[in-house]
Amino acid sequence: MRADWRVFNARDIGMVLRISFGAWRRQWLDLALTFGMLILAAILPLGIPSIYWQGVLTVTLVYALASTGWNILGGFTGQFSLAPATFLMLGMYTSALLVHYRGWPPVAGILATLPVTSVIGMVLGLLCLRLRGPYLALTTVAFSEITRNLIRFSYNFTRGDLGLSVPTLYGMEGNRLYYYYTIYLLNIAVILAVHLLMSSRVGLYLRSIRDDEVAAAGRGVNTVLWKTMAFTISSSICGLAGGYYVHFIGLASPEMGLLLQAGFIISMAVIGGMGTLGGPLAGAMLLYPLSEYVRRFGIQYMVIFSFLMILMIRFWKAGIYGTILNIMDRWVTSSGSAPALGSKYL
Amino acid sequence: MMEILVTGAIMGTFYAMLALGLSLIFGILKVVNFAHGEFFMIGAYTYAILTRTFGVTSFLAVLPAALMGIAAGLIVERLLMRPLYQRYMEWATLRDEYAVIVTFGLSLFLINLANQVFGPYQISGAGLVPLRERMQVGGVTLSTHRVLASILGASILLAAYLLIKYTYWGKAVQAVAQNRFGAAIAGIDSTRVSLIVFGISGGLAAVAGALLSPIFPAEPFAGAFPAVKSFVVVVLGGMGSLPGSIIGAYLLGILEQVGAVYVSYTYRDTFAFLVLILTLLLRPQGILGERVREV
Repeated sequence: MRADWRVFNARDIGMVLRISFGAWRRQWLDLALTFGMLILAAILPLGIPSIYWQGVLTVTLVYALASTGWNILGGFTGQFSLAPATFLMLGMYTSALLVHYRGWPPVAGILATLPVTSVIGMVLGLLCLRLRGPYLALTTVAFSEITRNLIRFSYNFTRGDLGLSVPTLYGMEGNRLYYYYTIYLLNIAVILAVHLLMSSRVGLYLRSIRDDEVAAAGRGVNTVLWKTMAFTISSSICGLAGGYYVHFIGLASPEMGLLLQAGFIISMAVIGGMGTLGGPLAGAMLLYPLSEYVRRFGIQYMVIFSFLMILMIRFWKAGIYGTILNIMDRWVTSSGSAPALGSKYL
Repeated sequence: MMEILVTGAIMGTFYAMLALGLSLIFGILKVVNFAHGEFFMIGAYTYAILTRTFGVTSFLAVLPAALMGIAAGLIVERLLMRPLYQRYMEWATLRDEYAVIVTFGLSLFLINLANQVFGPYQISGAGLVPLRERMQVGGVTLSTHRVLASILGASILLAAYLLIKYTYWGKAVQAVAQNRFGAAIAGIDSTRVSLIVFGISGGLAAVAGALLSPIFPAEPFAGAFPAVKSFVVVVLGGMGSLPGSIIGAYLLGILEQVGAVYVSYTYRDTFAFLVLILTLLLRPQGILGERVREV
């Protein structure tokens, strides 16, 4: 029997209020900062006349979308999947096969990726329900390698390593800016949706699963349902990114499902800041153009990024965006002592 | 059928060398080392370059390969693995994520570094004996190199196993694997134990890479498939169980050969993943593993 049985004394209520207010404030700050970046992203391609760099920026936003999708699973829910690139590839093939064999218009193909990849993601989530930590990572590696091999070796249907060429969204002569602003709008929609999700009750459920799954289950959170939901949502966002990407580059290839690509997507989220709304976007906007830039000097970009990823997770877990967010959070509060709910990565 | 068994067992020896190291690491730190295949790659590169470029006798070149692997293991332990067990109370919730990101990132780093330094070309090492030579084993004709390499590998594996089973420091490794806190009370230096474990596992993987490099040439991605196979073996045999990982390795080697011959040669590398997913679903503790109860 605890001596202090009165759970709600005045100090505790004050603490609870400060914590929940801190979390609330941090979320809105996160959204505001993210929109700051999005405004920057809106004017960026207008200042860059080069078609090549406009294309680079478009791909950047594709990666940002995929990384945001992974962040729901890895950053917010703590389910460390290594399969984001696989869902990107699955999205690419869903749309490509529908357009190629059924003659669907690209827009319908892109929309069709949402149900298809969310069902596949749900199945993977159900498979992984009982697994955590290293077991979960291993299973997702196995899943991604099986999927990639299936696509590579069913060459009668998918043309294997040759890749499947498909029409692009606005035609070959389409203005690059159209492509850019389409994926830009998709990014805004997804970021708003993620914000709504994470500031709702479900967001609390997901974070509680990350912080302590057993305790969350003990407090009545339906961990089975919400873990599966996290897998479903995350993979459908990655799939959507893939569906758009295939109609930008015009080629679906199993190269996209390499673990290397998964590492690229994850390193964006880690370097930007896991478990924040804008971290993946910031990471993608830093890393992808940089990767294009160092490529001309004959440097393997993943050498740099994987090294950075190791350094960040070892010494600087908040990430670049996460650190900026923390500093601003401290600016806004005068007391500076209210702990925020996302404090696990501080 | 005999042929399938013998070739399967030969591959099984190399899987066992990788899986033993992985299983040791899992035993003491409870994490999976995703960069394990890159120890293999380091061994393969060292051996292939020494024998091809510098013309070192192939039996002698195995030793520097092993040393490189041991060095790589020690460096990785010192720089990246320490936070996993020092100050580990602060890490309670984040350590799994840390381990996965760090080892996965390390794997990508080493693969791309090799790609940057040596280029995407294949360098195949010289055989222990000229690669054309054949010999008869139990009515099956096999390449002499494979037989010699697997005998050498199996004896090194046996030596490592006995080392862990019977020497003082080997027993310390077992003690830390059973209960880190209890071992610390008994005066066992867990830092040194973890250095030993990483040294042994790096060395074993590098020797496997060196001995296989005439067959699977050294290239940046050389370690990817062997590593993934050894993950499967470790899960199949039971995480952290040493006899389990050796049994699992031979089982997987033979199973793969059966699958390649009777089912489909194209999908021979996919069977391993199927085995992994089925094991995790049906018997998550593996063949010999104990069920871990979590609080």
